Amino acid sequence: MAPLLQVEGCTKRFGGLVANRDVSLTIEPREIVGLIGPNGAGKTTLFSCISGALHPDEGRILLDGTDISKARPEQVCRLGVARTWQVVRSFGRMTVLDNVICGALRRTSRVGPARARALELLAFTGLAGKEDVTAAALTLADKKRLEITRALATSPRLLLLDEAMSGLTPFETTAAVELVRRIHSELGLAICVVEHVMEVVMPLSHRVVVLDHGEKLTEGPPAEVARDERVITAYLGDRYRART
Amino acid sequence: MTIFLQAVADGLQMGLLYALVAVGLAIIWGLMEMINFAHGEFMMLGMFGAWGLSVSLGWDPLISMVPIAVVMYGLGVLVYRVLMQRVQRGEMFTQIFATVGLFFFIQNGVVAVFTSDYRFVEGSLLTGLSGANLSLGGVRIGVPLLVGGLIALGLFFLLYLLIDRTDFGLAMQATAEDRDAAMLVGIRPQRMYAVAWGLGTALVAVAGVILANFFSVYPQAGLSFTVLAYAIVALGGFGSILGTLLAALVVGVVQSVTAAYLPPAFKDAFVFGSYILIGLFRPQGLFGRF
Amino acid sequence: MVWAVAALVALLYPVPFERSGQIYYETVGFLVLLNAMLGIGWNIIGGWAGQFDFGPSIFFAIGAYTAALLSIHWGFNAWLALLGAVVVSVVICAALTYPVTRLRGHYFAIATVAMWMIAQPIGATWPLINGSQGLFIPVASGGSFVHGMLTMEFPGRGKGLGFYYLSLLLFVVTLLGARAVERSKWGFYFRAVRDDQEGAEAIGIDSRLYKVIARCLMAAVFAAGGTLYGFWALAVFPDQVLEVNWNILPMMAAVVGGLGRLWGPVLGAIVLIPISQLMTTTLGAGPLAGRGIDLIIYGAVIMLIAGWRPNGLLSLPWAEWAARVRRRAPAPPVPTSRGRS
Repeated sequence: MAPLLQVEGCTKRFGGLVANRDVSLTIEPREIVGLIGPNGAGKTTLFSCISGALHPDEGRILLDGTDISKARPEQVCRLGVARTWQVVRSFGRMTVLDNVICGALRRTSRVGPARARALELLAFTGLAGKEDVTAAALTLADKKRLEITRALATSPRLLLLDEAMSGLTPFETTAAVELVRRIHSELGLAICVVEHVMEVVMPLSHRVVVLDHGEKLTEGPPAEVARDERVITAYLGDRYRART
Repeated sequence: MTIFLQAVADGLQMGLLYALVAVGLAIIWGLMEMINFAHGEFMMLGMFGAWGLSVSLGWDPLISMVPIAVVMYGLGVLVYRVLMQRVQRGEMFTQIFATVGLFFFIQNGVVAVFTSDYRFVEGSLLTGLSGANLSLGGVRIGVPLLVGGLIALGLFFLLYLLIDRTDFGLAMQATAEDRDAAMLVGIRPQRMYAVAWGLGTALVAVAGVILANFFSVYPQAGLSFTVLAYAIVALGGFGSILGTLLAALVVGVVQSVTAAYLPPAFKDAFVFGSYILIGLFRPQGLFGRF
Repeated sequence: MVWAVAALVALLYPVPFERSGQIYYETVGFLVLLNAMLGIGWNIIGGWAGQFDFGPSIFFAIGAYTAALLSIHWGFNAWLALLGAVVVSVVICAALTYPVTRLRGHYFAIATVAMWMIAQPIGATWPLINGSQGLFIPVASGGSFVHGMLTMEFPGRGKGLGFYYLSLLLFVVTLLGARAVERSKWGFYFRAVRDDQEGAEAIGIDSRLYKVIARCLMAAVFAAGGTLYGFWALAVFPDQVLEVNWNILPMMAAVVGGLGRLWGPVLGAIVLIPISQLMTTTLGAGPLAGRGIDLIIYGAVIMLIAGWRPNGLLSLPWAEWAARVRRRAPAPPVPTSRGRS
């Protein structure tokens, strides 16, 4: 099967800082890929290059064979990529339902069907009952849930989750992981997860990619990556090694 | 060719004065990203102040500059504490809108008291010098405007010293860079903002005092200077003082050259058009770093 | 129920003035409705899409001039001229706006002011529109009320009444149109762009396109308003149609009433226009006349709203106040029949 996403030699500079240097990776359909690495490794930059918020200075990004390196974010979304953000974003002045309707309007022009789909998705992600709450008034966990729901409403084939678990309590984290699992199994998406919480990423991912200082350090099945000396030195630390 | 050089020379001199008009805006903007539609109105108040003191007390504008600066400083701080401080925590539109209200209030307040008639400062030192020229390679440089420009430049230099060489100026720069970090080292942002407003208002009013020697004084004089000041601040890279000076010189020259070759009604059109072009193609301004 | 009453009031408003001959108040009504309509138009770009346009009067002027030219040179009927004015205004708006959609917030606002300032010398000197000498719209005399509604011609005494109903008609059309947009995909997308432009783009919204659409809708409304104004004034002068009031009053009405709320501009216009008219009548020809006292008041109102009630008058706790009033009113005697609660 051809890969859904191919990143080939992505390089992105900000003045003198090289945020991504020659990063290549692929994501297959229905795969969950974990993207890990220390802060400043370039994970969010890579996401932004994929989603079109930024454009790589060198290299290519292909979605299902189509070159999206220079595409604008709305075009990338139309082609089937949705993302969430490190610092959660929502349309603060609109209700929860209206937020998701905005996403659903990507696939249908009429508000009626969009509303129906939005209600379905809100039930699926566990926000049923909160439709009329103003987005700005939600708890952090619910805001993240809303962001994911809204992204799902655009019917993506690839979902990019940028630190979706950060700032959550252990209880909320478990619920969030559960949601990601359900999204994968029931909606059949490919998902790329950026996370710092190893206990979350490792069990969830089929494959893990490690970035460090803008470069890809290694990739492979979670168990392998966790045992890799370089990864332990750069990021995981001895404590994690001792546990596996 | 001489026409062109003459226009450039005139433009540079005006540019110095424009720099003084714009620098107050640059300070306020650089510190708290606030837009002030009433900026030109403060300049207009400075003009009226100069005219009023000249007519009633016979004071030369170069002298009345000082008390006017002090009073306008106070006004700026007052406006900040009463109104702008409130809208600062709100939405951007409300901030802009508040200054639009200020604009209407001030301009029409002056209309109510003084009517829209044009007034002129007469008998001042600079108007007395009118007609005195220096000649530099075939280009005629009017002494009054030159003196005015040099005064502006001097004030600019003082401002630069204040911002760059004093502890207070350093505190202001710190607040502009990172407000929370500044708070952590004991700087009170509210005080910085109030001073910025006072300083910005005083500077533009002083510019008005000087300009009153060369332009007619009337209540509607402010708005085109406001937009001009914004064009300059945008060109100069938003908040950079040196950038503002350079940009002001550029704008002065562009305006002057335009006026030399096109009908006078269009002299500002080019500047405004450039603002739009800059916004499109080089949003960090000619001299800003992004 | 409230709507029925409001509609009735709106329809019957001119009746008492017709009887008493105080046609002036009909014109006040006309101005209220015109500004309310413009305010609703401005709300689309300013309130919903969150892009602050401080120079919308250029489209008012384009509308007035296009309609005038179509009527004078090609004998277009007023309504056809209005249509033409709207089309031209929308096309020009799209062309002008698309390039500047990159500008955000303040920069966009200043750019719209810059456009307005550039328009002024153009308006004063362009031969096609007769520059500052203006265009005059020819009007036939006589004609019934119905004829007048069809041609926007109400010479003489019937003018106040006729234009009141014309403006009411256009106002209702604009209101219904805006309501439809608010509930449509466009309405959702505008507000998404306002709340979070990057977030909107990430869910597939072309922010530039929708900013242009929103501004073009405003341009259409302003063009229609300009046409109406032109036929009312029977002449189009650049300094009148580009006047700062047409920039500021619609926006003020929207903000004072409640930015982003459909009825905000209506409430705002009802509050603000009479202030200006009151100033004109009370100050009359006295020493303070023409001294911009009304604008001073507007300025003060704007500052008060911005500082203390930025969400506008509609955000005041009306329901709470109504409840408090009801509680204070003495309860009517209850008929003593058992079995009723």
